[in-house]
Amino acid sequence: MARVNPSRRQFLHGAAGFSLALPVLPSLLPRDAGAGGVPSGTRRRFVALCTEHGGVWGANMFPADSALTDSQSYAGHSIRRGDLVAADVGGQPQLSPVLRASADALTPERLAQLNVIRGLDHMFYIAHHRGGHLGNYAENDGNGLDGQIVGGYPRPTIDQVLAWSDHFYPDLSSILERSMIVGHDISFGWSNPATQSGQVQALPPEWSSLSLFNRIFVPQEDTQSPRPPVVDRVIDSYRSLRQSNRRLSAADRQRLDDHLQRLDELQRRLAVAVSCGEIPTPQADSQDEWGNSGYDFDPAAQARFWQLFNDVVAAAFICDTSRIAVFRVTDHFSDYAGDWHQEIAHEAHTPDGAAQQVLADAHQRFFADVFMDLVGKLDVDQGDGTTLLHDTLVTWSQESGNLTHESVSTPVITAGAAGGSLRTGQYLDYRNRQADGFGDWGETNERLLPGLSYSQWLGTVLQSMGLPPATYEQGPYGGYGEHFVGEGREALYPSSVLDVQGQPLPWLGG
Amino acid sequence: MLLALLTGALATGCYSGHDGLPGADDVDDHPGDDPEHGDDDDDPAIAGFECDPSLVPPALPLRRLTRVQLDHTIRDLLRWALPSEGDAVADLVAPQLAAIPDDARRAPDGVHHGGFSRLDQSVHQEHINATYEVGRAVGDALTRDPARLEVVVGSCAIDADPQNDTACVDDFIRRFGGRTLRRPVTDEELSFYREIFDGEGVTEGMEPEAFADVITVMLASPAVLYLIEHGEDPVEGQPGAYALSAYELASRLSYHLWQTMPDDELLDAAQSGALLTDEGYRAQVDRMFADPRTREAMAEFYRQWLWLDDLPPMDALVGNPRFDAFLGDFAPGPDTHRHMADEALAMLEYLTFDTPGSLSQLMLDERSFARHEDVAELYGVAPWQGGEPPALPPGQRVGLLSRAALTASGTANTRPIVKGVFIRTAMLCQQIPPPPDNANAMPPAPQPNMSTREVVEQLTEQEGSACASCHATFINPLGYATEGFDALGRVRTTQVLFDDDGQVTGERPIDTRSIPQVIPGDDTPSEGVADLAQQIIDSGELSACFARQYVRFSHGRPEDSQRDGCALEDLTARLDADAPLAEVLRAIALRPEFRQRAID
Repeated sequence: MARVNPSRRQFLHGAAGFSLALPVLPSLLPRDAGAGGVPSGTRRRFVALCTEHGGVWGANMFPADSALTDSQSYAGHSIRRGDLVAADVGGQPQLSPVLRASADALTPERLAQLNVIRGLDHMFYIAHHRGGHLGNYAENDGNGLDGQIVGGYPRPTIDQVLAWSDHFYPDLSSILERSMIVGHDISFGWSNPATQSGQVQALPPEWSSLSLFNRIFVPQEDTQSPRPPVVDRVIDSYRSLRQSNRRLSAADRQRLDDHLQRLDELQRRLAVAVSCGEIPTPQADSQDEWGNSGYDFDPAAQARFWQLFNDVVAAAFICDTSRIAVFRVTDHFSDYAGDWHQEIAHEAHTPDGAAQQVLADAHQRFFADVFMDLVGKLDVDQGDGTTLLHDTLVTWSQESGNLTHESVSTPVITAGAAGGSLRTGQYLDYRNRQADGFGDWGETNERLLPGLSYSQWLGTVLQSMGLPPATYEQGPYGGYGEHFVGEGREALYPSSVLDVQGQPLPWLGG
Repeated sequence: MLLALLTGALATGCYSGHDGLPGADDVDDHPGDDPEHGDDDDDPAIAGFECDPSLVPPALPLRRLTRVQLDHTIRDLLRWALPSEGDAVADLVAPQLAAIPDDARRAPDGVHHGGFSRLDQSVHQEHINATYEVGRAVGDALTRDPARLEVVVGSCAIDADPQNDTACVDDFIRRFGGRTLRRPVTDEELSFYREIFDGEGVTEGMEPEAFADVITVMLASPAVLYLIEHGEDPVEGQPGAYALSAYELASRLSYHLWQTMPDDELLDAAQSGALLTDEGYRAQVDRMFADPRTREAMAEFYRQWLWLDDLPPMDALVGNPRFDAFLGDFAPGPDTHRHMADEALAMLEYLTFDTPGSLSQLMLDERSFARHEDVAELYGVAPWQGGEPPALPPGQRVGLLSRAALTASGTANTRPIVKGVFIRTAMLCQQIPPPPDNANAMPPAPQPNMSTREVVEQLTEQEGSACASCHATFINPLGYATEGFDALGRVRTTQVLFDDDGQVTGERPIDTRSIPQVIPGDDTPSEGVADLAQQIIDSGELSACFARQYVRFSHGRPEDSQRDGCALEDLTARLDADAPLAEVLRAIALRPEFRQRAID
């Protein structure tokens, strides 16, 4: 952990260094940091890193079974856990072939802040999707009948549930952006989020770390202009049309209502007193990495791209101008020169393991270069002995489980204790090893075993961020997301599994 | 006949319907609420549409301008307000314009590839923030400098005569507002903006900031970001449909053909009422269609229809031994993929605007439209310098399907599956069902001495496999037809195989024969790209699909096969009759439904 000296504050110190090259400015201190400020744990942050495909075999993704030292009966079957213990492999701490990073990055203290979760299932076949990471299963490619069925039921993703929750943001006085989105079609919200009405729509992503930085840190008021905002008069112009007797359809009026609500948000945002002081503009922009045609085959360039966004996220959290970030990472982190989708992702299950090795290596690079890079940048003392990482929950989820297309046992890696509401340093395996398993996967090395519902995980996240279940739960079951069980999978997910979806995941929360 | 063919396709288990028709995506009951969920009633209808004049086409609620349209509007407004330095001022507000969110290319439900940015009608916080900040920046840029203020408002804004102030402000609001709101300012609006100018009594005299506030609120008002269409008289025989007012029609036409606000002449036609006469309206359509701005707007249609923006760089793998060996003497540059897209686009534009070309000509043309040396080199011709495009070597490269933009992949291997999906969805508007649950079932491993086609066959066409039901019938055969072009779009008769070190490991003959099933279930064989192009023309599927795509682009929404039936039928009939593409593109603006709106 990098300790901050409040009198001469070191802005950030991460494993990969902080590439904004910001000066050490007392003004970077959160206004109420330290013992006299907001107690640790009351201001929580959430980061979701969502990667494509998945398909990493269990043996490559997860620690060995021997790490699972405890068990208990839960939801009708035996589940297991153990403390995270890294082995030394070539001088690097390693939890599994994928979960390996440099000793500087994966320190014992940071290891104690991680969780590795196995046995979280989308209980239906969904294959290629984007929204499933955070609960909007409707955003899928319609693979199989299940995917088409859940495609009819869009819902906001949990980051947007958080972004518009008074429990998560009880005070918005410093918040410039309720959420920071990087990557297409990963975050979804209502067209009128304040009233939770209208259409569920994809939020526009930001691709430029510099632009995101400017949205978070640059004062909105032009210092040359003394003009006060006139948003109230813009609101009047919309209200006038909305209330006029002119012919409008009901949908027209809904659009105007949506717009008016957004104008309220603009008005709120313009009143924010930016808390970061004079911060120099970063010298590098993520989009600079795209100047080279070879970006798609250059894992080092891809790492730099996402590390620049990590910088902005860490800085925004420290300045408290935003508390939510979501990345959809479509880069492969490999120099493989062929067709990644067809030749690696779709072939990763072939028993010779050649494609699997390429896939696992790529995921290891993501873990070391992006996930742990962010963890390092959040591992900064807040002045009261706790770290920003402690107050944050960073999650890494994958599109598929241990077989491409199949969303059983989707790996989830976390960092941070969500302000102390989550227990960390654990390897959790919620799979039902007594189950018969399912799927026709020929000679692959994987045996698919059902576990607990991914909806239970999403509900756990929301609770860890301070949301009461009553504010997000829908339908007959708890948790967040889709409680639909796919055709032919009913026996794998009995009522004992469905009925506990509203509970925090065992050993983890609550 | 068609029904019989469709039935045959159904027997293969690979028919998901045409776009715009009900299919398996339609789910009425939440699955968790009803264990018998799903849609058992997914019998495909025959792909098609029928004109029922009594049906009213659907309307978008409060249609939002695209990013491109909004950007063009602001720039044109600045050029109008400051004729001598509008572009310079536009540069000043470029950072604010850049903050307007990009539009995602959206396709109708159930179509998982392609789409048009005009269909992205979502409104986000970033739109609201950006339009306000643009308004602030424009307000400042137009008023801070007294010289500019004089041009924008008039000399009355800076003179010392208080007697003319009221008239000066009112005139400015009416004149600037009339252009910004794209219609005359009402008396009520005049009072509203006058209040803003007066600033609740805090403004003294003719303060530039007061003018800036008026400009800001005008630019952030609903009439700028949205096309507000109240309609006027009900349309006879079409309950719920109303004729657009002259100004509403002017905006709709201008944003369709020009992607920007109406010009003086169009607004004059609206003011005089000429735009509401058939003759006057047609005159404006013809005038505007001949303007270069229409060419630019239609280029967006073509580019997005053909997924040209998705073409990957051709030089990304330079330095990789296998790819370098595949390249041979050719050296792709960082812009080669853009030049490929430019060639396809140039072909479309030439046949649309420079000669009266038809859709069938587009599919069969054997000339090169490559203006850049790299693509011309791939084609074995000199770069096109304008005028009559150079002829390609005879019989080698026929029509649109054979262009590098539609065949190149940026790797050493072609992608028959991707090519097949493109043709099936973008050019035939036929939906491909998604892969089954066991799509990863284990096929035999491909051998290193196989051609790309042989590898694809091995992986996806194993007899009796779930994959084969679609890949062997509906997807791959379309892609095989253009295997006579390598991954750079070069003509080939064999495929030379390389290992990872770039060493030649073999050579396999190219086989472009297939049964493409342009009409599902049709077992007519094809010898290759020329055959396939002719089958596609003869099927009528391309005409109908082009009509669907253009209706989507024109109206900014998915087509409704029933309610848009008249427009779809009209456009298809023209295309089938080999009408010039220009006539087809212009025709939609001349149709009655373009001049009306459904309001429930």
